[in-house]
Amino acid sequence: MEIPTRVLHAKSQTPESGKSFFSGYEVDPSCYDEMFNSDGEPHDHCRKLWEALDPMSRADIVAMQERAERSFLHEGITFAVYGDEGAQERIIPIDLLPRVLDAKTWEFIELGLRQRLDALNLFLADVYGPARILADGILPADLVYSCPQYRIEMRGVQVPHGTYVSLCGTDLVRTHEGFMVLEDNLRVPSGVSYMLANRRALKTSFRNLFRHYHVRSIEHYGPLLRQTLSELAPNDVTNPCMVLLTPGVYNSAYYEHLFLAREMGIELVQGRDLLVHNGFVYMRTTGGMQRVDVIYRRVDDDFLDPLAFRPDSQLGVPGLFYAYRLGNVAIANAPGTGVADDKSIYPYVPDMIRYYLDEEPLLANVETHLCRNKEGLEFTLDNLEHLVVKMVGSSGGYGMLVGPHATPAERNEYAEEIRKNPANFVSQPTLNLSCAPCLTSDGAAPRHVDLRPFVLRGLETRLVPGAFCRVALTPGSLVVNSSQGGGGKDFWVLSS
Amino acid sequence: MLSRNAQGLYWISRYLERAEHGCRLLADQLKALEDRPVEDIDRAWRRLYAALDCKPVGGSLESNLNDEDFMLADSYTLADDLTFEPNNPDAILSCISAARENARQVRNVIGKDMWYCLNTAYLELHKLGIGDIWSNQPGEFYLRTGDVLQTFSGTAASTMYRDNGWHFLQIGRFIERTQLLTKLVDAQIATFPLTEPHIESDWRSLLQICEAQVAYSHRYSLEYRPGDVVNFLVSDPRLPHSVRYALAKVSTALDVISVHRPAVEANRLAGRMAALIDFDWPSRDPEDDTATRNTLQSIRNSCRRLHEDIQATYFDYEVEDRPVT
Repeated sequence: MEIPTRVLHAKSQTPESGKSFFSGYEVDPSCYDEMFNSDGEPHDHCRKLWEALDPMSRADIVAMQERAERSFLHEGITFAVYGDEGAQERIIPIDLLPRVLDAKTWEFIELGLRQRLDALNLFLADVYGPARILADGILPADLVYSCPQYRIEMRGVQVPHGTYVSLCGTDLVRTHEGFMVLEDNLRVPSGVSYMLANRRALKTSFRNLFRHYHVRSIEHYGPLLRQTLSELAPNDVTNPCMVLLTPGVYNSAYYEHLFLAREMGIELVQGRDLLVHNGFVYMRTTGGMQRVDVIYRRVDDDFLDPLAFRPDSQLGVPGLFYAYRLGNVAIANAPGTGVADDKSIYPYVPDMIRYYLDEEPLLANVETHLCRNKEGLEFTLDNLEHLVVKMVGSSGGYGMLVGPHATPAERNEYAEEIRKNPANFVSQPTLNLSCAPCLTSDGAAPRHVDLRPFVLRGLETRLVPGAFCRVALTPGSLVVNSSQGGGGKDFWVLSS
Repeated sequence: MLSRNAQGLYWISRYLERAEHGCRLLADQLKALEDRPVEDIDRAWRRLYAALDCKPVGGSLESNLNDEDFMLADSYTLADDLTFEPNNPDAILSCISAARENARQVRNVIGKDMWYCLNTAYLELHKLGIGDIWSNQPGEFYLRTGDVLQTFSGTAASTMYRDNGWHFLQIGRFIERTQLLTKLVDAQIATFPLTEPHIESDWRSLLQICEAQVAYSHRYSLEYRPGDVVNFLVSDPRLPHSVRYALAKVSTALDVISVHRPAVEANRLAGRMAALIDFDWPSRDPEDDTATRNTLQSIRNSCRRLHEDIQATYFDYEVEDRPVT
């Protein structure tokens, strides 16, 4: 693809004085800019924001940002990065400049997300049940059955309302062609607390702006999640006891677990607080053992139950899966959902939508080459310098190669790895993710962003009009993962 | 209430009580450095370490009494040991860190302001070293840190819902206080035997550590008689830093917690200790060091058993092999 080199300057209200906030902002025409069109004019839905921000000085915004970050640290809105001692508690840097989306585009995204989650749930019910989709040859059976995330133990288990995935966090990216799904996170997606924390920070910082802008509220996420979970409770329970199961304070997302348990008013428990007795799950309280009906677990499948999955797990509850199979407790998300968000299954999601719903997918997939196929492997190895290569089982941006940004030596080394075990890799074109203005040491500058909206599903599908918008803070970088130094932004959906 | 949460609250208040106690001991000690002779300071350090039942990490209390400079430098090292030394579990920073770790576990059962107070205290202290506080009125530092910890207790008292969580916070705090006070009085008697001629300031400082000097002067006199001071700190039910007061608080909290699940042994022990002080306290013979120290020791032992019973009844109990409700 030919990349245009023309550099445009964003429109500024007081270009002569050179003091306006956006005066040095260069719109990169090679990627979609979330704030400015290709003439350097703000998009219509961003105009009010631009009018409010442009007269401000960088120093004002820096001061607000520092205040916000300090309050994050003091509140303990922190994030732990594995293998990074000393920096055990870091905040996810917040960029105060919000990303704004118009109502119509959001409406489209929302429909696309609902459609996708419906199909993925039907897919899970199918592969853990009759497996029609495999019999009909839409997906190669060996691809599903050889996937490490496929849990044979889930075969024939009845899940409430056929809901395997009650919570998902879908990663969307935007290019000039529109929004695309980069990844479905169907296991234990995180980030929703940052969505809410960033909104709170913005409300403190830009009080007046909110008054004049019709930004849709996302504050009801906690109650919605609670409602969703309570709908999963075993049949005869009217006032279910729900808990959030966390691996503990050393988990990178511990803050989020605390936050969500608090928002929902439910108990935050660890594996050692629970035990299974006569096929029911109980938690240890000061008044004795209390029965638990619904577990929102933030522990991976592998660690849920040492008797069913990894025997060395210290985080899980022995016998939990047994109680689950008996239908005495609900677990969200169900074990085994990882098979549907595996990177090698991902290319088939549009086919699933057509197969189960008889609809055309609204949100596009990113073109993906499976190295397990001969053509995919050849294509990947021949075009390594243009591609992003990911390992099938990994997440969090670990172990991936961004071809255009890697040295020839790194690419060769990676190619060796691919040849050793091709089935473990998939490749995608390097997408020019959209950019949004971010506060940098030189004022506003474009940085790549993605978007993670959160979809809930109990008896029905629900979502709040918001998302965790992740930012690659390093200039030019395309990696937005928090574990790789990414930051966050507030994301505004306008009501009209 | 989730057992682990109750346990977390219990330990938060134990650790904070310990840290606050450390602050008061050191504030008093550093004030002594201003105007007391070397011998007194040396003895006061010994009392302090005996009161905390520990030894300086990697060092000893052997010092050279003939060299004042050495003594002051020594105070610097000892204060560091009791404030910032990471290998000393009783150091103030260690206690605050441990309290904060527990608070992180139970953040959803303590108020936002309580967390904020504790986290801020930790973040501030964490950045400092003994060098930062020594050059400029170190005593002030300990008073300030003590104030922050009291702010935590005050916030808890004025905001917390009075469910079991609150009562576990109280139990932890007052069990710890009982332990610390009995040990402190015991160390005082061991360092300054009641039978020997006494220096008033040694006993005044003991009252100051327990924030009891003004109350003492109203209740008794301006003369600091060792027997009266010990009696006051052990048996007066109206003095917040007395053993008797702390035991009463433990009993009150236990009564509430026991409604759903009785801790029989803990209740018995709390009652027994109170009775020991009310009816058997050997104050009639203030000269009898041994009897006094034995009583203190016995209270401390009972306290440890009380702790064990609470642990076994509420935090870490065996699950009965019968249908649970």
